[in-house]
Amino acid sequence: MTGRAAPSIRQRLATALVAWAMLWAMAVGAAVWLAATHEVDELLDDTLESSADLLAAIATRTDSSADAPLVTGQALERFAWQVVSADGRVLMRSPRAPTEPWLATARAGLSDDADWRLFGLALNGGDRMLYVAQTRTERREARMDVALGAVLAALAVGLLGYVWLGTRVRAELQPLQTLSDRLATLNFNATGADSLGPAARAELQPVHEALDALMARLAVRMANEQAFSAHAAHALRTPLAGIDAQLAVALREAPAPLAARLQRVREAAGRLQGVVAALLSLFRAGGTLQRGQVDLASLLARLPAAGLQIEVAPDALVYGDADLLAAAVANLLDNALRYGASQVRVATRGPSCLVISDNGPGVSAERRRQLQAALDSQAYEGQTGLGLMLADRVARSHGGSLHLPEVDEGFAVELTLAAAAAG
Amino acid sequence: MRLLLLEDDALLGDGLRDYLCGEGHVVDWCRSLGDTQALRGEPYDALLIDWQLPDGSGLDWLRARRARGDSTPALMLTARDLLQQRIEGLDGGADDYLVKPFAPEELVARLRAIGRRMGGGGAALRHIGEVAVDLTAKTVRAGGQRVELTAREWAVLEALVLRAGRIVPKAELERLVMGFDAELASNALEVHVSALRRKLGRELIETVRGLGYRVEGS
Repeated sequence: MTGRAAPSIRQRLATALVAWAMLWAMAVGAAVWLAATHEVDELLDDTLESSADLLAAIATRTDSSADAPLVTGQALERFAWQVVSADGRVLMRSPRAPTEPWLATARAGLSDDADWRLFGLALNGGDRMLYVAQTRTERREARMDVALGAVLAALAVGLLGYVWLGTRVRAELQPLQTLSDRLATLNFNATGADSLGPAARAELQPVHEALDALMARLAVRMANEQAFSAHAAHALRTPLAGIDAQLAVALREAPAPLAARLQRVREAAGRLQGVVAALLSLFRAGGTLQRGQVDLASLLARLPAAGLQIEVAPDALVYGDADLLAAAVANLLDNALRYGASQVRVATRGPSCLVISDNGPGVSAERRRQLQAALDSQAYEGQTGLGLMLADRVARSHGGSLHLPEVDEGFAVELTLAAAAAG
Repeated sequence: MRLLLLEDDALLGDGLRDYLCGEGHVVDWCRSLGDTQALRGEPYDALLIDWQLPDGSGLDWLRARRARGDSTPALMLTARDLLQQRIEGLDGGADDYLVKPFAPEELVARLRAIGRRMGGGGAALRHIGEVAVDLTAKTVRAGGQRVELTAREWAVLEALVLRAGRIVPKAELERLVMGFDAELASNALEVHVSALRRKLGRELIETVRGLGYRVEGS
């Protein structure tokens, strides 16, 4: 198959998982951020308020009439307080609190300064104000710590989910890979195929059943074709033998002028026999092979090759179906003779490659390319003769192919009987 | 040679019978297994059997014959050309296997090969005393001189040479030479035998009184 590769299920699921993990982290992070900041703010405000209540109780009992404000308490980094008189003087304060009042006008409750978050509380019926404050930086840090922790946790869960689900996806897709591996090596012929059996996943069961049914239908069709070819073989071969026998008798009894005619008819009948044998082999090339060690020299000795000088290595062996190989070679020899060759060389290149070359006129480079293209695409009609087509079908039925190599002299055919080994 | 041809196809059966008769063979042609019933017990030099017959398998018929101890050479003539089928045919009792379509010339050559394997040696040329019989060329020489024989005389000589060293009963020899259908005058065989003795020498064919004729093994 050619064309753009189909999208991968694994790839698509991985992309979806990444998107899901990111969305999960963002949504959970945002939700946690909002909830956490709100809660932290409330908590800190409550702290300010309760601190103010406590301080108020102390401050009302403290003399604060002195000119210089009383500075008392611990010097806390992030926490401070002021007691401010009605006329705007700071009467008391914590060490870190500013010397000037936080607010120009008295204001009870929560309010914000540039650096501080304040809580104001009126003392002694309103003649003094107590302000308790917390640095805004501290509040921001607290919020950030909580939110960051939440977002990191969400991200970690998202990432772990991505890795775990990715592994699951791979594991769940494994049965598909196993199925295609099995299909690639499945033993299939007219007597049926090995059943795929129960699937590893429920979703694959219909696929297994459909494939089993398809293979069963193909096996029936193949068996029918083989039965038909056996019938056709009988129906064609017997009358051809009869025609030849009758012509042989007639030739013996006929007067000379008639005998010459009968001889021509008999030769034509002989060629017809060759074509029928080739067609039957062609039909059978789709069937089951009887592979075995084939000695080329003895195979060639059985073939009719009048008018051709054949050269073959004495112990050239190939591994294949002897009948189909004989049909292919016989037709290639017939081609060589028909196209004007007088010598043919038959050689092997290993047990799965057979090279037949002749000393005929050959074909042009352009024609050779056309023939090769027709063979490669199996578009024989109108392109190749019966001989090349049959040889190609025989090669293909063995899992190989037919190649027309470029040669200096004549015409050569390379018949491969097995798919080229990888590498 | 006397041959039994078992072939259902009219065109092929008729053509082969005529061709083989023209080659000097005596042919009984059966178109079904049922037809062979009438020929049970007839002596033959070779059987030519088609595998697929209208009323059964020619190979099964041959197997049954072999099971009865019959060793008449058999040649399968069949459209079944697969290696496996050829092996099955030969293992089933056939001595040779010819895939249709075949040239009748090849069939005759294979019959000659069967003949050479019968009655000794495998050689086409047999020597009986001073007489040399060439089974392939169908010629006879006595003391180096070529001797002309009639077709029937040759048939009698060939039948005896193929069974050299064995006594051939007169009735069997008649069947081998004339075929099942041929009406034969009661003394016709003696006429041919005495003609052969006159042309090739008295000692060539020995009469075993009350049993039949014999030529010595070469």
